[in-house]
Amino acid sequence: MLARLRRSLKRVAGSTPMRQAIGLVAVVAVVNLVTLGLAYVNLRKSAEEAMRANLAQHMAGFQVAASPGALEILVSAEANAADPADRVFAFVAPDGRVTGNASAALTPNGVQISPMPEGRPLSDYGYFPLIERMAGGILILGESRAPIHDLGETFLALLALSLAPTVLISLGAGAVIAGRARRRVDGIEKVLGQLSQGALEARVPADPDRQDDLARIGVQVNRMAAAQQAATEALRQVSADIAHDLKTPLQRMTVLLHDLRERLPDAGEEAAMAERAIAEAEGAVGVFHALLQIAQIEGGGARAGFAPVDLAAVAAEIADLYAPAAEEEGRRLSVSLPDGPATVIGNKGLLGQALANLIENALRHTPKGGDIEIALRREGGGTVLEVADRGPGIPAEERANVLRRLYRLERSRTTPGNGLGLALVAATAGLHGAVLSLHDNAPGLIARLTFPGGQDRAGR
Amino acid sequence: MTTLPVRIDAAETTKGAMKLLLIEDDPTTAAYIVKGLREEGHVVDHLADGRDGMVQAMAGGYDVLIVDRMLPGIDGLSLIRALRSAKVTVPAIFLTAIGGVDDRIEGLQAGGDDYLVKPFAFGELSARIAVLARRAAQPVAETVLTAGDLSMDLIARRVTRGGKTIDLLPREFALLEHLLRRKGRVQTRTMLLESVWDLSFDPQTNVVETHVSRLRAKVDKPFDRELIQTVRGAGYKIEG
Repeated sequence: MLARLRRSLKRVAGSTPMRQAIGLVAVVAVVNLVTLGLAYVNLRKSAEEAMRANLAQHMAGFQVAASPGALEILVSAEANAADPADRVFAFVAPDGRVTGNASAALTPNGVQISPMPEGRPLSDYGYFPLIERMAGGILILGESRAPIHDLGETFLALLALSLAPTVLISLGAGAVIAGRARRRVDGIEKVLGQLSQGALEARVPADPDRQDDLARIGVQVNRMAAAQQAATEALRQVSADIAHDLKTPLQRMTVLLHDLRERLPDAGEEAAMAERAIAEAEGAVGVFHALLQIAQIEGGGARAGFAPVDLAAVAAEIADLYAPAAEEEGRRLSVSLPDGPATVIGNKGLLGQALANLIENALRHTPKGGDIEIALRREGGGTVLEVADRGPGIPAEERANVLRRLYRLERSRTTPGNGLGLALVAATAGLHGAVLSLHDNAPGLIARLTFPGGQDRAGR
Repeated sequence: MTTLPVRIDAAETTKGAMKLLLIEDDPTTAAYIVKGLREEGHVVDHLADGRDGMVQAMAGGYDVLIVDRMLPGIDGLSLIRALRSAKVTVPAIFLTAIGGVDDRIEGLQAGGDDYLVKPFAFGELSARIAVLARRAAQPVAETVLTAGDLSMDLIARRVTRGGKTIDLLPREFALLEHLLRRKGRVQTRTMLLESVWDLSFDPQTNVVETHVSRLRAKVDKPFDRELIQTVRGAGYKIEG
């Protein structure tokens, strides 16, 4: 809940209108700071000049006293009438005695003013001093800096007052606009997500009342999606046409070859040739069929028929199908399953075929007698389906290559197969949001299908 | 359905005096299918246009329809859908050049009874047509299946031959049951894969052959006569 709130706040803060609002606030703040700052500096300067003039006038009043004694009387009279928090008077007589409402001492840095013992407290903000030698001693007058401090506070308050409405209005308007835009951006994002998942019929809802940038982006997204959909449809149509136009002659060829074979006496050389021709034609059909199927799977169209599939049941079924064939070759085909079903959302037929392809690869590319292990387990919230053999394995640098269509290892050129089996498995994995990876079984190969945790990814 | 018993007789006695309708626009394929089916003794009507085919199929009287999916006029899927919504239940098999991932399911959902991807061997089509005709004509629930001296008790799940009990694994039992239920008719490898294992892809390994040879080792090897026969280039059958 908190994380969600933080996420949505982060999204609002990261939105364009919000960033513009923050930028506006910054500009207003800088302008106010500069104008108010200049005004403050000027006012402060004149306030200090007034203080200086005031002090000088007072100082002149004391010059009538001719002797230290007279000056002391004069100073203590003035000092008694004044609050040392506002103004201090201190006369340091030639003998070092201090008269006034504050104690003062000359230091190398200037004057140090401190409260008289038993006297009233001094100003917290320091003093603006005037020092003169008089009647053999030193007379120190000091005006409290409190008014200047108050002036600073007043200006800070002014700054805050002038900024507050700007900040509130800018950020508020930004948030409202951002919220409104966010719903529409979310809509566009959702449509783009659907499109990238292969749902090419997804469109941003049109809003004829709006003609702004987001509306234009929506129109462009829709245009792009329509183009993509048309291209995919064209590709599908071309595939279907090619399939039809090529498969029909292949059908006729197979038909004629079967016919020919029927007319030839068994065990003759001609019959063997006809059978080889039939096998070649069937091989061509197989490659053709597999290529079309991979293209179709990669197109994502098969997602429409997705349903919950129990991988444990699929693994058990395929293992049952292949076990006798493996045993004929002196292999043991073992299968280890988790307790209970391991459900993924997908296409049962394709998943079964993917597992069958992995087992057939193991049967074909490893020496007879080598065991094959099928393992299904839950791992890190996801599901892992593995086929492991004890054959020569695939060198690490070749593992990426063998997933490519029609690629075959040098040593496999003589074994049957069309080089499309693993490509089909990889395409099926991709369709299900799963990953096909190849690992070393030391010795042998592990082909691993890792299905992501949760059902939402594959199903969306 | 008073014609039902007659059809059973026809199918069983002459092994195929069926009336078939082929709707296929490719002349070579059509000629080949028509020729092959006529040689087997069936009566075959052929039309190349989807619309004409639908009208003809509505008229009725056919045992099985053979329908190409891509047709001029009206495509095969729509044709079968239209027939089914008009309560025409004659079994239909689709022929297709596409063979896509979900095409088979699509075809069956549209109301088709079987699905065959081109190119196919004639034996495959012939075997499937025989199964469809029989399926439509025989809704009888049997509890004991027999062939020669072999008998399968479906309730006790027990198989005996010549008085001796034969122990079968569940999958072997299912395979034998499938063949017994279609006694006298050829079952191809792909048909067995589809019905016994519910798989519709073409394995590159002889998996079905191995299963059949295991079954044979138990059912036929200890006895004189072979019940499960190999039909070259087509599949397997148990003779009645």
